[in-house]
Amino acid sequence: MTSATTPAGIEQRVPHWVDPESAPLSMRGVTKFFAPSTTALDDVSFAVEESSFTVLLGLSGSGKSTLLRLVNGLHLPTSGTVQVLGRDISATKGAALRSLRRDIGMVFQQFHLVGSMTALENVCAGALGSLRGPRFGLITYPKSVRQSALEQLERVGLADQRFQRADTLSGGQQQRVAVARALVQRPRILLADEPVASLDPESSDQIMTLISQIAKEDNLTVLCTLHQVNLAMEWGDRIIGLRQGQLVLDELTANLTTVETMEIYASVSGAGR
Amino acid sequence: MSTTLVVEKPETPRTLNTPTPAGVLATVIMLAFVTAGAWAVAELKINAATLVRSWENAVRFFRNVMPLDFPGLAELWEMTALTLAIVVSATVLAVVLSLIAALLAARPTSKSPAVRATARFFIVLMRAAPELILAIFFIRVFGFGSMAGILALGLSSIGMVGKLYADAIEDADDGPREAVETNGAGRIQQIFGATLPTVMPAIVATGLHRFDINLRNSVILGWVGVGGIGMELSTALSVRQYDRGLALALVVLALCIITEIVSGMWRSRLLGRKAEPSRFGFLWLFGKMKGRWSPELLDAPATSTRTIPPWDAARVGQTMFTGVLLAVIALSLWASDINWMRFFEGFARLPEVTARFLPPSDGGHLVLLLEQLLITFQIALAGTLLGAVIALPVGVLAARNVAPNPTTAKVFRTIIVVTRGIPELILAIVFVIVTGMGPVAGALALAVGAMGLLSKLVADSLEETDTRVQTALRANGATEWQVFFGATLRQVAPAVIAHVIYQLDVNFRSATLLGVVGAGGIGFYLLNANRVLQFEVVTFILVLVVAVVLALEAIAVLLRNIVR
Repeated sequence: MTSATTPAGIEQRVPHWVDPESAPLSMRGVTKFFAPSTTALDDVSFAVEESSFTVLLGLSGSGKSTLLRLVNGLHLPTSGTVQVLGRDISATKGAALRSLRRDIGMVFQQFHLVGSMTALENVCAGALGSLRGPRFGLITYPKSVRQSALEQLERVGLADQRFQRADTLSGGQQQRVAVARALVQRPRILLADEPVASLDPESSDQIMTLISQIAKEDNLTVLCTLHQVNLAMEWGDRIIGLRQGQLVLDELTANLTTVETMEIYASVSGAGR
Repeated sequence: MSTTLVVEKPETPRTLNTPTPAGVLATVIMLAFVTAGAWAVAELKINAATLVRSWENAVRFFRNVMPLDFPGLAELWEMTALTLAIVVSATVLAVVLSLIAALLAARPTSKSPAVRATARFFIVLMRAAPELILAIFFIRVFGFGSMAGILALGLSSIGMVGKLYADAIEDADDGPREAVETNGAGRIQQIFGATLPTVMPAIVATGLHRFDINLRNSVILGWVGVGGIGMELSTALSVRQYDRGLALALVVLALCIITEIVSGMWRSRLLGRKAEPSRFGFLWLFGKMKGRWSPELLDAPATSTRTIPPWDAARVGQTMFTGVLLAVIALSLWASDINWMRFFEGFARLPEVTARFLPPSDGGHLVLLLEQLLITFQIALAGTLLGAVIALPVGVLAARNVAPNPTTAKVFRTIIVVTRGIPELILAIVFVIVTGMGPVAGALALAVGAMGLLSKLVADSLEETDTRVQTALRANGATEWQVFFGATLRQVAPAVIAHVIYQLDVNFRSATLLGVVGAGGIGFYLLNANRVLQFEVVTFILVLVVAVVLALEAIAVLLRNIVR
């Protein structure tokens, strides 16, 4: 990784405290093009520590979501390597990819629940990767899966609402169901793509508290995208800033001031976008 | 405009915009349509004299035909059950095949562009194939009986059902499927675990809608030998037992209305996502049960560890619904009395039968067939024009925001609903009896049918117009008529034009089939070719019909793009 100076003058401090080989998640020189001529990510390299909480910060369109989708192979890098739990994601296919995905939970901005299914069935669907064959309806899931789904719903505080249709729950509740779905296979990495962008401040705080608490309990390595600096500073151990596909900041939160972090946005407007 | 504004100076700014090529083309197409329609009406001799003569005819006829000869209850039940069994089985077949085709054709569930294109092509192909010709073919392969009817109705349904399913999958939120994919679920697991539950209401609602259509379409298959009410009806008419024929026609009408009400209620309940079960039949009963049981059940789950929902009203209702549906399907498969031996033997005959249908040949009657194709087209044109002439005022009077008072709107809405409930085949039979065999009967039947559909579309479009424009004109002192022409009609004109062309497309398909009952056109020759086993001619007629249908559809698509 090369040291670079951003137009706004933040010196990019290259973190050497994580060894990319042993890190649960690392990227080296990752570039991603989308047809016809969009560069979503441009030569991004970083590695995150086991059980750490890393926040990806940037405006929409800065490449955050693309970066998350490279981790579980929903997208493949145009060049560079993405290494997750000791495997090169580009070289992992079929059953091996599905088995790797079982170790990576993901939470989305729009929750992505099936509205007509109950909360419990939505959580059970998270366990499909460890089951063989299709499932249709709660009763078709094995009892053990239903039990562990219920345990996860209990952790997020929604055990009582388990038989309610997902579309009758509030936004915050839906996101908690989605968190439970991501946890039901006991993943080692949790990806969260703008988990609170659709929620009011109070629910946002609850969801972030929940994710952070669960991550500590389960020793999860969390990679979470956010666009609000204050939330990033509050919850992240470390902040990685992205602008127009380039990594412009990578630093432990403890070493950053809010003003410094704000720079990644300031420089965007400075660049005349 | 004031007369003092005489054009003296050539540099007077234009007050009419320059016509665009697209606008000119649309005008030309519409003028051509109206001219052709008027020509068709004249050519088919649909005029006052004919209608008066028909009226006298009708009065005399109905005096002779009364009282109607209804079959005995047991016999009636038997033919109704067979028809319903065939239609249910065909609809189930259609839903299953359409779902497979749609999953292969929709972007979220099918990654390969080649597979998607093939599946889309298959769906379009099935839409172009008339069920009557499919039935003729399948009867040769699998013999007389229900199987040919089930296959013909089922396969021809894929065109509509498959397309709607594929659209539903593409329009639905793909997020849940992606979320399950990130958890390591395979393709099939994603489909069953996330995609299907998301689109389930649309799947069932479209299936129920198609059930109504299939019931109507099933009647005509009786003319080529598929059992049920249609067959009894065709037999009665062929031996001129009009008292029995009209009685059976009334039975079909009643059946269509009943199933439409039932399936309509289910559909609106499914799509409306009402929290409360509708007050209808057993659903209403469970609604009451829910009220009585809910309080205790709400307390219960807090402490329990059960992972299967309790038997509350919603679950009982849902399980009953599923159970009844499965029972009806099983019963239908059993009652349609399929000869499975014959079915499997049929596959061995498939190449031989296909060879008999190929190559298409005019059988030495090319001029006659083209003439009849033209007559069929005239029937469709005349039916559409006459239908449009009636539909416009009816639609206007049925629109709540335009009708002089709410009662008028309600009365005309009811007229529309009742008209729409009558299958075109039944209308054609009545008109054939009244005006005698020939194209006039077909055109009049289509006109009444077109009125039902078109006036509904016109009324709906009128009700969707932006009423603020009307208010603005009224505020400027315009009279109600000026408001109607200047704001209301002006706004709906593009939609109405699109509806009329769509109606022509629909009418041509119907005109082909109505010939079978003697309402003129190429359908009669289709039936004849089948009777004398000239299957190459059947294929030839199929090619002619599909060519015209595709041409009409191309014009419809073009016009829709222009006027939008």
